[in-house]
Amino acid sequence: MTIEKKINGAAVTLVVSGRLDTQTAPELENELDSALSGLKELTFDFANLEYVSSAGLRVILKAQKAMNAQGSMKLTGVNDSIMEVFDITGFLDILTIE
Amino acid sequence: MALHLIMSASYNALLAMFLYILDKKTVFSKIPHKAKQVIIGVLFGLMAIFATTNLGGFDIGDGTIMNVRDAAPICAGLIFGAPAGIIAGIIGGVYRFVAVYFNAAGTYTQIACSVSTVLAGFIAAILRKFMFDDKKPTWLYGLGIGMVTEVLHMLMIFFTNMNDAVNAFEFVKICTVPMVIGNGLAVGIAVFIVSVISKEKFGFKKERKQISQTFQSWLLICIVIAFVATSSFASILQTGMSEVQTNKTIELSLSDVYLDVLEKSNENLLQKIKSINAEYQSGVSLSVLAEKYDVIEVNIIDKTGFIVASNVEEYLGYDMTSGEQSNEFVTELLKNGKTQFIQDYRPTAYDDVTLRKYGAVTLGDGSFIQVGYDSSQFRANVDKYVKTASKNRHVGSSGFVAICDEDFNLVTDRRDFEGAELQKIGITFDREEIAEGEIFESTVYGEEYLCSYRFVEGYYIVGAMPKTEAMFMKEVSVYVNTFMEILIFAALFVLIYFLIKKIIIDNLRKINQGLSQITNGNLNVTVDVRSNEEFASLSDDINQTVGTLKRYIKEAAARIDKELEFAKQIQYSSLPTAFPKSNSFRLYAKMITAKEVGGDFYDFYMLNDSTIAFLVADVSGKGIPAAMFMMRAKTVIRDLAERGLEPDEIFTIANDKLCENNDAGMFVTAWLGILDTKTGLMKFANAGHNPPLFKRGEEKFEYMKARSGMLLAGMEGIKYRKNELQLIPGDKIYLYTDGVTEATDNNTELYGDQRLLDFVNSLDKIEPESLCNLIKEDVDKFVGTAPQFDDITMLAMNFDAILGDESISVVPGTDSRDAIGAFADSLSAKLEIVPKIAKKISIVFDEVYANIVNYSKSTLATVTYSIEGGKLRLSFTDNGIPYNPLEAAEPDITLSAEEREIGGLGIFMVKKMTESMEYEYADGKNKLTLVISLN
Repeated sequence: MTIEKKINGAAVTLVVSGRLDTQTAPELENELDSALSGLKELTFDFANLEYVSSAGLRVILKAQKAMNAQGSMKLTGVNDSIMEVFDITGFLDILTIE
Repeated sequence: MALHLIMSASYNALLAMFLYILDKKTVFSKIPHKAKQVIIGVLFGLMAIFATTNLGGFDIGDGTIMNVRDAAPICAGLIFGAPAGIIAGIIGGVYRFVAVYFNAAGTYTQIACSVSTVLAGFIAAILRKFMFDDKKPTWLYGLGIGMVTEVLHMLMIFFTNMNDAVNAFEFVKICTVPMVIGNGLAVGIAVFIVSVISKEKFGFKKERKQISQTFQSWLLICIVIAFVATSSFASILQTGMSEVQTNKTIELSLSDVYLDVLEKSNENLLQKIKSINAEYQSGVSLSVLAEKYDVIEVNIIDKTGFIVASNVEEYLGYDMTSGEQSNEFVTELLKNGKTQFIQDYRPTAYDDVTLRKYGAVTLGDGSFIQVGYDSSQFRANVDKYVKTASKNRHVGSSGFVAICDEDFNLVTDRRDFEGAELQKIGITFDREEIAEGEIFESTVYGEEYLCSYRFVEGYYIVGAMPKTEAMFMKEVSVYVNTFMEILIFAALFVLIYFLIKKIIIDNLRKINQGLSQITNGNLNVTVDVRSNEEFASLSDDINQTVGTLKRYIKEAAARIDKELEFAKQIQYSSLPTAFPKSNSFRLYAKMITAKEVGGDFYDFYMLNDSTIAFLVADVSGKGIPAAMFMMRAKTVIRDLAERGLEPDEIFTIANDKLCENNDAGMFVTAWLGILDTKTGLMKFANAGHNPPLFKRGEEKFEYMKARSGMLLAGMEGIKYRKNELQLIPGDKIYLYTDGVTEATDNNTELYGDQRLLDFVNSLDKIEPESLCNLIKEDVDKFVGTAPQFDDITMLAMNFDAILGDESISVVPGTDSRDAIGAFADSLSAKLEIVPKIAKKISIVFDEVYANIVNYSKSTLATVTYSIEGGKLRLSFTDNGIPYNPLEAAEPDITLSAEEREIGGLGIFMVKKMTESMEYEYADGKNKLTLVISLN
């Protein structure tokens, strides 16, 4: 997994590629811990992300909770597999997916 | 006398032996050198005193004690040291001088004996110091020195008594042989015995002679030849000269008597002629006169030389010029103008047999009167003169003159044998055989005499001189000469030897000492003998050669260093450094070479996708040969391994191959393992190598106890043992060479097996690379500043997973996540599963495995799969605590983000993605079986 960070004022886009699973989720979590403070707008670009496991869901949920309090969060480029996971787990209801 | 001599001689030997043993075997040796010299000097001084007494020496008959006193200081000086010799000499000499005043020794030789004893000590001291390098000489030298010193002694006796030469000479003649031999023997025996005790080799037994010895021998031979030649020559000369001298002495006496007799006889005849002439002038007839004066002839010869008147008629008219004898008168009186002429008693002109004495005086008118008579007629008048002429005459100091007549009847003789025949006193000679003045030998009064005679006026004047007297001077000369020559040649010998030693031998020795240091490897030594041009240039040459050699060695060393550096690089570069990437194991190896090129190596290579061979080896020795042998061993083993042989077979064949052409007798220890990652079975063989460290799971490291085989290249035909070990994920193995365990600190203590074991067991986390580095650090810490002698080589491997075709076994944990992920991916790839399903499978693996890692506390987890009816059947097994994920509460997925709990979501997802899930717990294992539809 690789993470690319694009900053535009108080808006940040994280381009996550590869797999977001048990192995890689802590990396993203670390990235978010440093990026979240004072953030108004967070975008995950999942165009090149293969799949997300429960460990990845936990990080996304954590980010969503944080952004709910300080701004907005959205996901872009989510593929079918990931969409299916979001569907199964009811994440579609709490996430903003474009 | 011989017995006396030997006894006297042996006292010194006994004392020398006693002192020598005392010095070698007892506490005496601990006394300081100076004190020891004084003690030995005093003891030998006492020995010299003892020799002076009746007990130590022996009386030669007239109160003179013959002794071997001089031997004591010589022994002390030669055997024990210069100071001891000098002390002993002074004690002995002073005693000999003083002994005269209490009648313990003779006055006659007082000075000579005491001085020569002191000298003996000094001579021994000087010779030891300068000729023998302060060492004991051989017994032959002892003998020679003893003898020569005694010759000096004899000469001094002679010189101190020159005013009594005859007695002094007698004394010397008696003493010389016994004392010279006695002293020589005394010293010779003493040195010999001490040499025997000290078990020395004698000079002539040495295999190779030293220059000094060869030189000594030749010098000695030359000196002896010169001595014999000059002595013989001098002796012959002396004999000849003494003969001449004797001849002269006798001749002198004889001619004195001869002249006396002749003068008296002539006077007698002249007187007679004058009386006859006076009466003839007064007219007395010649016949009357002849009768009156008892002469045979009275002749008157005219100025023409004819007898004009005679008492013997038949002589008338005789021409005086017609006979040689008679013509002398004509010549002397008529031609030379003499007024009177007396002829010796001799044969007449007209008759050889008749001897007659003639005389004549001139008559004034040119004629002369001649008178002749025979011996019987004039002897009556001359005999009394003859007696007085010989009576008080000596020939030399004890010879005499005897006179006899023509018939050898003694006229006069020292012992008044007058009238007797000459034979009676023992002298006989034949005038025909022995000429006048010639020396002949006779025994007079029972004593050998040298004699000579002269014949005058009918007398034989015989001079006789005792032979002893005649030869005395000669003997004295010969003795003194010989003694002097002995001393001079001995001194010459010592001097020449000393000079040669000083100039050549000592310098050679110095050069040799320098050279031997150089040949022993100390090239910084310089030879510096500058006492003369030749040695100076030799020294320079040596130093230059050594300098050049040093430079060459330095250059060669630099070149060798460079080549060794290359060799090291080549050796180093032959070791693989790209470690294989595998989910089954992690491997790291490292070699730290010592300064020299060594023969360590490690190696590893994949024999196929799932089999790895790895080894560590150590070639005996160091340097290029070891490095080359290492390359050979490495290649041979790799070749065999790549043919797919088992480790034991590899070693068996490699051993035989390495034994071929192994003239250098090198060998190599090695440990080879071949691991099949599909099964985790490790086959290995050990050829005399250090046992590897092995760690299973959470247990401690231990040395692998498998029996080792023979080292490689040691002996042909060795069969190696087959070993197998089933590895399970989590096993760790560490291979090393003795460079680790035999690393040595400054106190030569070894790092050792136990220290290594303790260290690895003290580590928390065992990762191949860090393990190697940490061990190296610990070894470095232990060794401190001591240099690294040997290569340090190590190889570490962590076995993480058994990667079967349709299964994987791992130690659950973050480390093995990659292996599990990779297994999932490879499964999808192998079964050509569509990406959508493949992603699901990946998620399932991730979720289930995360569950096992997080909750089961198991140490081994295995995943297997199979295809059943177009469906994928996965089964996860672990040996952890019983845990059924299916019993977990399902999460409420309808809550808002704020209310959500994340737990249980994973299993929930898995349930949704699979067709069925089953859990069972059996044989201490959790087993979760899932079926995923591939459509």
